[in-house]
Amino acid sequence: MSVLAVSNLAKRYHRGGKPFAAVDDVSFEIGPAETLALAGPSGSGKSTIARLVLRLIEPDAGRIDFEDSDFLALSGAALRARRARIQMVFQDPLAAFNPRATVARVLDDPLRIHGIASRAERPRRIAALLERVGLDAGLAAHAIHEISGGQRQRVAIARAIATRPSLIVLDEAVSALDVSVRGQILELLLDLQRRERIAYLFISHDLGVIRAVAHRVIILDAGRIAESGDARAVVTNPQSAIGKALVAATPKLIRNRP
Amino acid sequence: MSRLRRFFGTPEAIAGAAILALLIVMALAAPLLFPGDPQAIAGPALLPPFQDWSLPLGTDRLGRDVLAELFHGARTSLAVGLAAAAAALLIGAVVGTLAGFAGGLIDEVLMRITDAFQTVPSFLLALAFVSIVGPSLGVVVAAIALGAWTGPARVARAEVLSIRERDYVAGARVIGMHPLEIAFHEVLPNALPPVLALSSVIVAAAILTEAALSFLGLGDPNRVTWGGMIAEGRTVLRTAPFLSVVPGIALVLTVLGVYLAGEGVVESTAVRRSLS
Amino acid sequence: MTALLSIRDLSVRYRRDGVEATALKGVSLDVEAGERLAIIGESGSGKSTLALAIAGLLAGDAKTGGRIEWFLPASHPRLGRDIGFVFQDPSSSLDPVMPVGKQIAEVARTHLELTWPEAYAKAKTLLERVRLPDPDSALRAYPHQLSGGQKQRVAIAAAIAAAPKLLIADEATSALDTIVQAEIVALIRRLVAEDGMTLLFISHDIALAATLADRIAVLRHGELVELGETGQILDAPRHAYTRALLDAHLGLDAKPLLDRQGTPA
Repeated sequence: MSVLAVSNLAKRYHRGGKPFAAVDDVSFEIGPAETLALAGPSGSGKSTIARLVLRLIEPDAGRIDFEDSDFLALSGAALRARRARIQMVFQDPLAAFNPRATVARVLDDPLRIHGIASRAERPRRIAALLERVGLDAGLAAHAIHEISGGQRQRVAIARAIATRPSLIVLDEAVSALDVSVRGQILELLLDLQRRERIAYLFISHDLGVIRAVAHRVIILDAGRIAESGDARAVVTNPQSAIGKALVAATPKLIRNRP
Repeated sequence: MSRLRRFFGTPEAIAGAAILALLIVMALAAPLLFPGDPQAIAGPALLPPFQDWSLPLGTDRLGRDVLAELFHGARTSLAVGLAAAAAALLIGAVVGTLAGFAGGLIDEVLMRITDAFQTVPSFLLALAFVSIVGPSLGVVVAAIALGAWTGPARVARAEVLSIRERDYVAGARVIGMHPLEIAFHEVLPNALPPVLALSSVIVAAAILTEAALSFLGLGDPNRVTWGGMIAEGRTVLRTAPFLSVVPGIALVLTVLGVYLAGEGVVESTAVRRSLS
Repeated sequence: MTALLSIRDLSVRYRRDGVEATALKGVSLDVEAGERLAIIGESGSGKSTLALAIAGLLAGDAKTGGRIEWFLPASHPRLGRDIGFVFQDPSSSLDPVMPVGKQIAEVARTHLELTWPEAYAKAKTLLERVRLPDPDSALRAYPHQLSGGQKQRVAIAAAIAAAPKLLIADEATSALDTIVQAEIVALIRRLVAEDGMTLLFISHDIALAATLADRIAVLRHGELVELGETGQILDAPRHAYTRALLDAHLGLDAKPLLDRQGTPA
């Protein structure tokens, strides 16, 4: 059984009149509580795949099965209802929220839209969500722009788990964070995965982060899968040219500790 | 607080705000200072200003109190100007948001309608509308709004087109929000500032259009209007020029005040934007 | 080694919406001529403020204390002539409506007192030096026709056009992907070596900084917490914060956070 099964996915764009394949014949599966990473240089199709999987854009060809049913067949209210189960966390948490929003409203929206809690019950649910991601419940009254970048990304995670999804797409979700905050956010994500059996589609350009948190990795090049496999094995011993180039380009911290 | 201070930082904004405040006081005080019908006869006809201190601005051809008419006229000008501008901004924002957010066929249809309205001179449109439906305050407001909503619609659409590509709109779709809620609750409020920046020009234009309609005798006949007063004074322009000059000055000052105050608001928000 | 510039007790404060914020407090350090000095820190550390202060690019409302002393023939170094500056985002530092060749030629013409034909010849040489493919057509290209990495190469060509003594790269590779980042870092290393420039490399990434720098300065909350040779910083950091930064780095050899015992079926 898989949470998400993508087969022969394709998406073409036109750039300067010429068609070019952003995603070309991509197939993969993600199991429950599994982290699949997508890596590759910019323009390799990582983010396009994320947006296709979330039905933010429509594919030209291919099939997406989410929780064993045809996700592309859904539309309108049925699609909106299904979205409760597949969530997303963006790279820049400031851009990912309405600039006028407060923390409370950001977390209230999914609870209200999917009828998860009554109006009276929602403040308690919001407080519980904030505590679940390691934030103080008093933060609810703050505007999004008043809190720190790390706090914002925790709020984004709280919003994503509010509807109890089985899959969260993390699009460079830790790339914009300071390294000291990044470790805590990754720990939080792993903890959520362990306890609530959430699967992650983890998009990152950083092989170090991928090796630290992902089970499997797919390395993309120009919209196609260049190689895939166990995350640690691929990073340690890449087979494809692009995989080798990515590993070679990753800065190495060589420490001769006594 | 600091925004208010910045608004009052320029002399133009202070002058504009003072004129507007005076106008609002006039409009609010009109029924208190001049109870009863301003169109009733108050004294001898064509009394010049500053002769009789119970009628400081004199009387018109029919012996009506010019000062009372001026105060009550401020009410009409302000009411029509604000109502028409509000209607134009509302229609424009809704049409622009729908066109920009929906895209595709809906966008095409709505923008061609906008084009159609924009190619007809707005004053002719108002003139035709009032002549067909008949003059009353509501019809005048509708007639002016009919010619003024296209500007806000275009600005709102352009703003919505850029906002709808932002991550937070994608985020709203991901949590399953209804498209109409996204358009009007998430996108529109953030698209409003540049649309509202048009409001001073629209209010000023609406006040002038109302005056022009009244001047041509297409205003609400049951209300005193400055345009009507100017038209009324025109027949005795040589002997009693003050009858046209007084409401004319009021009109010029009002439009100037609205414009200056509007510029002040735009300026103070612009400073804020460049700082952040 | 001789010092190129000496910073003593530098403080910078900004006013933001009526609130005064301290960006740098009491920073003192010497930059040696010909060295590659990395300045690293997280957001809010003041690393970019330090770069801007050295380049004389601080905003007008910034209040500064302390002093920066230069050991150059000219008492006041000029940006472009004596200091080359490469910003994080080349799209915003290049003029979108001017061919890139002209932008580079303009720097050469202004600071080296060249004629236009000489300046264009210089621009072409520079585009060759930054390894832009097909420099002849690149001269006439507009920024939007180039990729992010190519734009950053153009920005570097413009920064070194007048052969400055000091090159400041402020997060110059942060917006680029890993492979392009490595190429740009290699390019900077080569240019600095060829021209004998002094390099100030501002970065949030301690591992990236370590691949390039002779010395590393660590900033935190506007204060200089540690300054030392790269080897010493990596192997024997004196400050707990430096250690924390090193430990937080997730390299290709770090211990994975993921507990593989719980691998899903």
